[in-house]
Amino acid sequence: MINVYRRALCASVFALALTGVAQASPDKPVIGVVVKIGGIPWFNAMEAGIKKKGAELGVKAFMVGPTSADPALQVRAIEDLIAQKVDVIGVVPNDAEVLEPVLERARAAGIKVITHESPKQKNADYDFELASAQGFGEAYGKRLVDALGGKGEYAVFVGSLTVPLHNAWADAANAYIKANAPGMTLVGDRYGVAENVDQSRSTALDLMRAHPNLKGFLAFGSQGPIGAARAVAEKHMDGKILVMGPFSPGQGKKLVHDGVLTGGFMWNPEVAGEVFVTLGTMVAKGEAIKDGTDIPGLGVVHPEGHNLIVNELVNLNKDTVDDLAKMGL
Amino acid sequence: MHRLGIGNTERWLILVILAMSAALGVLTSTFLTLPNLFDLLNASAVDIIFGVGLLVVLIAGGIDISFTVAASVVQYLTALTLGLFGGGDWALGLILAGIFGTLLGCLNAFFIYQFRIVSIVVTIATYNLFFGLLMFFSGGVSIYDLPDWLTTRVVIFGTETAAGHAELTVIVLVMAVCVVATWLLLRRTSTGRQLYAMGDNPEGARRVGINIGAMHYLAFGWLGLMAGIAGLMQAHYAQEIVPNALYGRELNVLAAVVLGGARLGGGRGTILGVFLGIILVAMTQNGLNLLGVSPYAFKMIIGAIILVAITLSSEGVGRLMGSWRRPAERRTA
Repeated sequence: MINVYRRALCASVFALALTGVAQASPDKPVIGVVVKIGGIPWFNAMEAGIKKKGAELGVKAFMVGPTSADPALQVRAIEDLIAQKVDVIGVVPNDAEVLEPVLERARAAGIKVITHESPKQKNADYDFELASAQGFGEAYGKRLVDALGGKGEYAVFVGSLTVPLHNAWADAANAYIKANAPGMTLVGDRYGVAENVDQSRSTALDLMRAHPNLKGFLAFGSQGPIGAARAVAEKHMDGKILVMGPFSPGQGKKLVHDGVLTGGFMWNPEVAGEVFVTLGTMVAKGEAIKDGTDIPGLGVVHPEGHNLIVNELVNLNKDTVDDLAKMGL
Repeated sequence: MHRLGIGNTERWLILVILAMSAALGVLTSTFLTLPNLFDLLNASAVDIIFGVGLLVVLIAGGIDISFTVAASVVQYLTALTLGLFGGGDWALGLILAGIFGTLLGCLNAFFIYQFRIVSIVVTIATYNLFFGLLMFFSGGVSIYDLPDWLTTRVVIFGTETAAGHAELTVIVLVMAVCVVATWLLLRRTSTGRQLYAMGDNPEGARRVGINIGAMHYLAFGWLGLMAGIAGLMQAHYAQEIVPNALYGRELNVLAAVVLGGARLGGGRGTILGVFLGIILVAMTQNGLNLLGVSPYAFKMIIGAIILVAITLSSEGVGRLMGSWRRPAERRTA
């Protein structure tokens, strides 16, 4: 008797599993996008873009957000997507190298791989960037040099010491500052705290204490500028210490109007989400991406290897932050 | 020393902390300044509130890893309920956070006691359950629009020093109240003695007539209460509620509390030990920043210092030293 039940149970589980598998076909590709971490405004906006474009193009597109910014969780999420036999996997990597083997497996299974915020990613079909690492880092370097008049100490935060893009921005910003403002010095090395608001705040407090002549923070990572700005506000250093970095406008607008968060540049994560779906659909249908191809969201692209890089920077300051915040960012 | 409640573990921790303070005081001009020490206390206060709550559960022979995500759930519930009441104030906020926290803690106790399940299994399950529910219902959306009373910094003591402005915030006051309340519970009530007894020998405690069920609800409820209050305090200084802000912090708190001498098997642990364990870890991080050590080396150094402190304070070192001494004693005898 028990055996009969067990067999029935097995059969129904199997049936469920079958229907649960995403039904892929060339016309209606299934696109799964694994991001760094779920539940933060940046990736909420990206998810909105993914869903919006998916509905528009009539394809099945969804986002997977790990609970913490852990490369191992991303590996597991990608393995799940391979098992589901999706057509396209999109990734915003936490650690480019850790993902190489699993992406290789995905491609071996015939799945197209698109990455974002990870130029030079191995085992990807395409990587798209809404800002070149060089251009983005230099824009920050230039803005800090101009605002400080080319003098003073500054500190750099990145999301994690292994996030390739944040470190490339930091390299470009530091190189620009070194070349154009010899009067400015970097304190310490770069600090890998900028995906956590508490750690960014306490590290900023420590650095302000250790370096009384500190004049600016460059924080690359969505929570870094917020945490550093809170530290500046707590120490009543508004106007005396500048905080720059990409952040979510809704989260930072009060700090910008209070004068503790100077601003920065960003690109629109919602657009990035849309590009994942648009590009993914094109790739799944076998459309060629050539020099001069016009991709909605990216514009006319000039591929370098498998990299599609454009500069679509949005300026963040007192005047623009409210409008961007209204978009839910 | 023993009469002051300072045991072997605490003594070693104090020595390690004093040695590190002296070294940092010499190597940096900023470590031994009032503003820095106050900041250290402000930054550790939330972890200490979590820590004293966790201590009660550890003493009672249980373990809980769900308390930080429970605190995140409390943050959301409190913020939403305060919205219904039109904003509220500190008193209402603390009461609500305390009630929600206690309820979540008692939920753990319910499963652990009523179904006789090992506490780590239950709390791993509730950890995922709480976080899953939070992500599902919040949709991962943060709350930035908090009542003004909650986001305005409350300074309880501020002074100007040569090294800059030094201030203690209301979080430290709340921490002090939580620490004193937990100390009273553990050291000045018979209930506290019963918690120690249950942790040390559950069967013996049951046979002498201790109400094991009530002790479970008390221990996990107390941790829930502390976690709720700590969650409100974290929301106060972060000035926003982010669903995964506290995720992953439970292991740091647990490591610091165990470093402070609490035994994972139950029956042992002191408030002073919790305080020292958490301060030691926070001090290391603070010192590394002040020294300008490369962040690439941070985790390595913090791990090494925890290992050194825990080795020094373990019973093994005492036995080792004892065995060195004993042959000499025998010879004189």
